[in-house]
Amino acid sequence: MSVADTMTADPLARPHTDSVAAFVPDQSRAERTASFDVSAFPVPTGREEEWRFTPVKKLSALFAEGASDGLAWTDSLPAGVTVSPISASDARALGILPPQDRAAVVAAASAAAVLVDIPAEAELAEPVRVVLTGSGDTASHGHVVVRAGRHSKATLVLEHTGLAQHSELVSVVTGDGSDLTVVSTQRWSDGSVHLAQHDALVGRDATYKHVGVTLGGEVVRLNANVRYAGPGGNATLLGVYFADAGQHLEHRSYIDHNAPHCTSRATYKGALQGATARTVWVGDVLIRAEAEGTDTYELNRNLILTDGARADSVPNLEIETGEIEGAGHASATGRFDDLQLFYLQARGIPEDEAKRLVVRGFFADIIREIPLADLRDEITAAIEEELASTAYASANPAANPAANPTAPNADGQTVTKEN
Amino acid sequence: MSTHIEELNPGLKDIGRYEYGWADSDVAGSSARRGLNEEVVRDISARKSEPEWMTKLRLKGLSLFDKKPMPSWGSDLTGIDFQNIKYFVKSTEKQATTWDELPEEIKNTYDRLGIPEAEKQRLVAGVAAQYESEVVYHQIREDLEEKGVIFLDTDTALKEHEDIFREHFATVIPVGDNKFAALNTAVWSGGSFIYVPPGVHVDIPLQAYFRINTENMGQFERTLIIADEGSYVHYVEGCTAPIYKSDSLHSAVVEIIVKKNARVRYTTIQNWSNNVYNLVTKRATCEEGATMEWVDGNIGSKVTMKYPAVFLMGEHAKGETLSIAFAGEGQHQDTGSKMVHAAPNTSSSIISKSVARGGGRASYRGLVQVLEGASHSASTVRCDALLVDTISRSDTYPYVDIREDDVSMGHEATVSKVSDDQLFYLMSRGMAEDEAMAMIVRGFIEPIARELPMEYALELNRLIELQMEGAVG
Repeated sequence: MSVADTMTADPLARPHTDSVAAFVPDQSRAERTASFDVSAFPVPTGREEEWRFTPVKKLSALFAEGASDGLAWTDSLPAGVTVSPISASDARALGILPPQDRAAVVAAASAAAVLVDIPAEAELAEPVRVVLTGSGDTASHGHVVVRAGRHSKATLVLEHTGLAQHSELVSVVTGDGSDLTVVSTQRWSDGSVHLAQHDALVGRDATYKHVGVTLGGEVVRLNANVRYAGPGGNATLLGVYFADAGQHLEHRSYIDHNAPHCTSRATYKGALQGATARTVWVGDVLIRAEAEGTDTYELNRNLILTDGARADSVPNLEIETGEIEGAGHASATGRFDDLQLFYLQARGIPEDEAKRLVVRGFFADIIREIPLADLRDEITAAIEEELASTAYASANPAANPAANPTAPNADGQTVTKEN
Repeated sequence: MSTHIEELNPGLKDIGRYEYGWADSDVAGSSARRGLNEEVVRDISARKSEPEWMTKLRLKGLSLFDKKPMPSWGSDLTGIDFQNIKYFVKSTEKQATTWDELPEEIKNTYDRLGIPEAEKQRLVAGVAAQYESEVVYHQIREDLEEKGVIFLDTDTALKEHEDIFREHFATVIPVGDNKFAALNTAVWSGGSFIYVPPGVHVDIPLQAYFRINTENMGQFERTLIIADEGSYVHYVEGCTAPIYKSDSLHSAVVEIIVKKNARVRYTTIQNWSNNVYNLVTKRATCEEGATMEWVDGNIGSKVTMKYPAVFLMGEHAKGETLSIAFAGEGQHQDTGSKMVHAAPNTSSSIISKSVARGGGRASYRGLVQVLEGASHSASTVRCDALLVDTISRSDTYPYVDIREDDVSMGHEATVSKVSDDQLFYLMSRGMAEDEAMAMIVRGFIEPIARELPMEYALELNRLIELQMEGAVG
């Protein structure tokens, strides 16, 4: 029934009944649905708060229920780490967080879960590496459960490559006093679609770090969520993304401060090039009344390299107690700084090189948080490769006028200004 | 507990728990109808002898109000019952032209608001006192009239200046902009109309006081300000309302057109009583080189949802919002600002300060949008929140949407609590705890208080102190 149908021809005949009681907006992030029940999540229309930036029309295959294959899985496991199937009920018994949107709940329901088990007290010298490779554009689902035992220290790398329509749930549970770093790289082929929810239940006095690196794929949406199992937890969410023309790269995080004396930091940095490049960052932080002594800060920086790219940045902060150490967020979006460029050019560095240096500096503080030298180099090289195409276009506007018709800045541009 | 504050501020005692919380006996309201339908809208229009185009516009507003959904975000508005509201109340048959002509009852009301004093001191350029939906008292200083400044209540402006009115009415905020703007268009009554001719600087702030005085009476004033090229005007709006048992609704629409190189400042200190839903749409458009400044203080009401907006349509236009929100017990202040950059070299800044105490909730909600082509635009947003106890809530929901490469945008928010160190420092110098607390809060909002005209800054400080009573101990 359309809205017009609800109107009668004669307004006098009908009292005004668009009752406000019909709809009460969520009063806090905690009120959003979180459930293992697929029927709790209707198929998104794009009007929902959590989907309003996302091109949901391209995602229908991933919203549909039904069993499907996963991606090809290759791993390299240090001694002591095991990978084995785990039943849905055993996974839930570990305390994994419930799915928070339609794609994640479908992934949890459709895929057989795999447990990556890092034993207690283990201090791994080598990372756990898993390469997930897609081989086509049929829908696939995956559910990876990661258990880091108490007082363990480990790094897990999830590399996503190939062509895929993939929906994924990664559920991390860290033990008391553990230290876990999860690096997830999204270097999909063009045309790939990837919806992911990466959750962590952070143990008492545990340290958890999640790094998302998103460079490839047509639509990638990576939601990184954190909740605490006890006081003293420390969570860091980091992200690097580089969107070209035609890409939609979305990162969301939800840090639920539900325990006292925990800290969290979220830092996401992105660059955009090409007229239809699109990035979204939404960072939600909820400090519940019981989470006294919380210390949290969120930061998002977007570097827009060409006209027509669009960056949305929404840091939401909800605080239900005054007994906090500190809470804040900052978001800045801007272009290259002419002054920085001038400084470098004045020292004889050509424009392309100067721009490369500035972009490298822009991303460096996040990339250096990745504890693997070879992966760091690989990501830095991939970003510079992405950038090279822009540098070419802007240094030679005549070379590709169609792709960059209005490029006004052949004479230079540099890093974001902060205010 | 409050004795120290009272000693510091003699006269504060007179204000009492809620100074404006009395009600005159209801002379006009009881006969007004409750509920809303086409008949009510036609009746309002007929009583005002409005031209047909306005009647049609009102009916369009009604139909859009029916169609539009309630906002899917923000506060819980379930307490509003649209069928239990009186949409039009007329308090006196004809408009008074001098103070003495006002009925005794209404004069008493305004005496308590301090209007005659302000008038006597010539602090105000003209007073449009709104009482029960229609402006009953109105005076403009002769020199303003000489300059060609039009300052009328909106109903009279429609009668006397229909051409200019029709040209601009509902152009900044379309009839169907949102559910409450549509409602306002359907049933609007009263408000201020200001036209400032090219090059005219109005040196003294134009003021209007609004009051809700009938139980369950919605107040739907409509304000339209047009600042012609190179002009300047500062409009000050203050709101107070008596306390009633059941909830009432205030849903105003304020449209401002700032033409080339003109500057408008619009100041509000909103202090509705704690049962009013305050759902207001305020928007300004700025042409080339124009400046719009919103100074928006929200102290009262049960729920306020208000996001003054500036659409920067011409090059070098500038928008600025200073927002302060104070949420006490049972209150939700959901306020902020919206800046839309639609032209190159435009700039905007939003500074928001909020204090939540006693279980209240203060939310900043804002939007900065830089459209394609708005190159060299710059925007800064700064939100600070102060928490003074453990049961109150503070939220920040900033939206940023940038579609242009050559811009600079920054947003920053901090939330802090009043530290024991700060309190200790002040108390070691002989201040009582509540006095120290009030001083810290005053210091926190000072950057905004100093932008207010003197009498409003004083009123704001008194209100803050009243709000802070009982905050400690």
